[in-house]
Amino acid sequence: MIMVETKKIKWMFKKDLMVLWRHKPRLISLILFPIIMITLFGYGMGGTLTNIPVVVVSQSSGPITDATLNAIKGTNIYDVVNIINDPNKGKQMVMNGQVKAAIILPPNYDDMQSQSPKNVIIDADSSDQMASSALVPTSQALFSQISNQIGIQKLQAMGLSSSAAQSSQVQVQSETQSQVLSSPTPAASGINFQSIVNSINFQINKLYGNISYIDFLVPGVLAMVVLFSCMFGMGESIAGERERGELARLFMTPTSITTIVGGKIISKLTIETGRAVILIVVAIALFGIVIAGSMLLTLLLLVLVALCFVGFGIMISARVSTQEDYMQMVQPITLPMMFMSGVFYPVETMPWIFQKIAYLLPLTYANDALRAVMLKGAGIGAIWLDVVVLLGFTALFFALGVRSFNRDV
Amino acid sequence: MKYCVETFDLTKNYGDFAAVDTLKMKIKNKSIFGFLGPNGAGKTTTIKMLTCLALPTSGTATVAGQDILKNPNEVRQKIGMIPQMVSLYGDLTVKENVHLCGDFYGVHEDLRDSRADELMEMVDIKYAENKPVSQLSGGMKQKASVVASLIHQPEILFLDEPTIGLDPTTKRILWDMVEELNSEGRSIILCSHDMYEVELLCDDVGIINRGLLAAFNTPQGLKDTMITERKNEKISRSSNITKIVEEMQKEASPEENASLNSVKDYVEKKNRDSMELSVMISNLDDNLLTQLENLPITYKITKQHSGRIVIDMEDSEESVTKIISGIIENNGNITSISTKDPSLEDVFVRVTAKKEEVSDDNGGN
Repeated sequence: MIMVETKKIKWMFKKDLMVLWRHKPRLISLILFPIIMITLFGYGMGGTLTNIPVVVVSQSSGPITDATLNAIKGTNIYDVVNIINDPNKGKQMVMNGQVKAAIILPPNYDDMQSQSPKNVIIDADSSDQMASSALVPTSQALFSQISNQIGIQKLQAMGLSSSAAQSSQVQVQSETQSQVLSSPTPAASGINFQSIVNSINFQINKLYGNISYIDFLVPGVLAMVVLFSCMFGMGESIAGERERGELARLFMTPTSITTIVGGKIISKLTIETGRAVILIVVAIALFGIVIAGSMLLTLLLLVLVALCFVGFGIMISARVSTQEDYMQMVQPITLPMMFMSGVFYPVETMPWIFQKIAYLLPLTYANDALRAVMLKGAGIGAIWLDVVVLLGFTALFFALGVRSFNRDV
Repeated sequence: MKYCVETFDLTKNYGDFAAVDTLKMKIKNKSIFGFLGPNGAGKTTTIKMLTCLALPTSGTATVAGQDILKNPNEVRQKIGMIPQMVSLYGDLTVKENVHLCGDFYGVHEDLRDSRADELMEMVDIKYAENKPVSQLSGGMKQKASVVASLIHQPEILFLDEPTIGLDPTTKRILWDMVEELNSEGRSIILCSHDMYEVELLCDDVGIINRGLLAAFNTPQGLKDTMITERKNEKISRSSNITKIVEEMQKEASPEENASLNSVKDYVEKKNRDSMELSVMISNLDDNLLTQLENLPITYKITKQHSGRIVIDMEDSEESVTKIISGIIENNGNITSISTKDPSLEDVFVRVTAKKEEVSDDNGGN
């Protein structure tokens, strides 16, 4: 009995591969589509981000701190999630993915008497290239402005005129921009203007090193390609075969739905794994991306993602009788899922309602897990929640799919 | 096992619409059964339920002695089906499709291969075994479908309009094959719109209309029933009108009575037991036509094209002789002559035109 069922599953697997091999246009499209996608998105995407979640680590109190916090809150690129006083906790929040950056103000930030510069540090989640590339220049500009204002206040406190301060400020800025840190310009009073005006040292810590947009994009595109391939593939594989009467031929035989579906899953997973390998190889060859984590874990994740979306496809195709019906049902789900699950933009930067919806979509967890492994070098311990959620979605889809599978032809 | 198929109030509803309505039917084992019905009458739905491709809403059936609800896999193992839409994988070759089906039916590999070769030889498709099905003609696809359906040696073979769209030669090959399979002891259930095909092949015929079994008999039995029904209808119609006229005559004047007598004569003549004779006369003219109309046995003559006339005349043993004599005496040249008995198609049209009729003893023997 087991031998017979195994043979049937083997037939399902073999048949799907043979059909694919004999449909050359489909096979070519299967290989070209991910290459085109990665190329297009790698070179063509852009956008403006707002509401990036950040945490501010404030280790001092006073008017300058308050003014700085107000300035940060007033800038729409930031969404200040919390204000804390422990720098390690801030960094941890970044590494846990709760925020995209921790803005760490030093203990001497409010000390106007101090001659030493104030070291403002930004711990940025560089795995989210979109968010960090937007945060860094904005933060630099903001703290440069704050630095100048502090400098002006210091000079005023020392009794120098505003105009003198302004001219000194311009001079210092000019020197900063040209990176000429020559000997300080002596003032009549012997005061070091540069050290006064240039009172904030701004330092960026990219927690995961320099990650380009293509590095950021690849995991998301990988998950997205698997999504589309599985969804459209299952439409052809089940709804298409049902429409052409081919599935009826199998249903005429003493074969269970589980066996037929099982064979289809195995063939689809094999194809998708091959496809994922092609995509990764192309991304490495064309764009030199580096997978920080385990290649095996990346592939296993892709197989899980494929399994999840194959289940989704089976669930949708379980009761439809034509491929067109299937496509009509799938498109309104897949396209919004693509844009809402953080493939192109971080989920946290979307309006709150979309953020809530995003966490109901399996692609969000797939993106999250793949980015963690591929960009941050995370292991299974760091992505277990994503994996559990994906497994849950998969089990749910298969249970509903097999249960509602319509044997009527 | 006396019956290969027996249905018990088999019903299939799509929403409020009953595609098949409490169907009771018994099909004799090892017979060829013709299942007829207009489009949408419920025959394909019935076949789907009997082949376990659709679940009944209520009722059940036994196929090859197995209950379709309790033992669907046993039913599937014992039946083969050649569906209306060829359902082989177009991208696989004939041989691959047949092997796939063999494995899905659990046929041992050696047996599968030898049977596949034997069946492909039988339907003359062996030479194309390595061609993808999508590249085959309609007839060859049907042949391939036959091989795939017989690979597990089913007891019952369902054919859903198997010859639709096929050329006459291929049709005849399939008909021969159906007869051969039946002679081997297989029961055949044939759905078709081709009345000639059904009349030629089938031992029994069932006609389904609006989900109800409207008729069930042998092809000749159905035609005889129709002839009898027609006669009874005429007799009944004539008798009713005659009674009314006779009632009117009781209170009528002599002049009125004369008129009523002529009405009675007309009605009786119109509804007398009659038969139709189709004659083709090469030199048909108005004079000959008038002579024939004046014969006492002639009720009505309808002139058709190319010298053909259809004569509605008295149904007696001498009538045909009298008509032929009448034509010859008037120098008519007869090129063909035939009586016009109802065909299976006439039966089909008559049965399916009835809206609410339901047979209490639905089929069975």
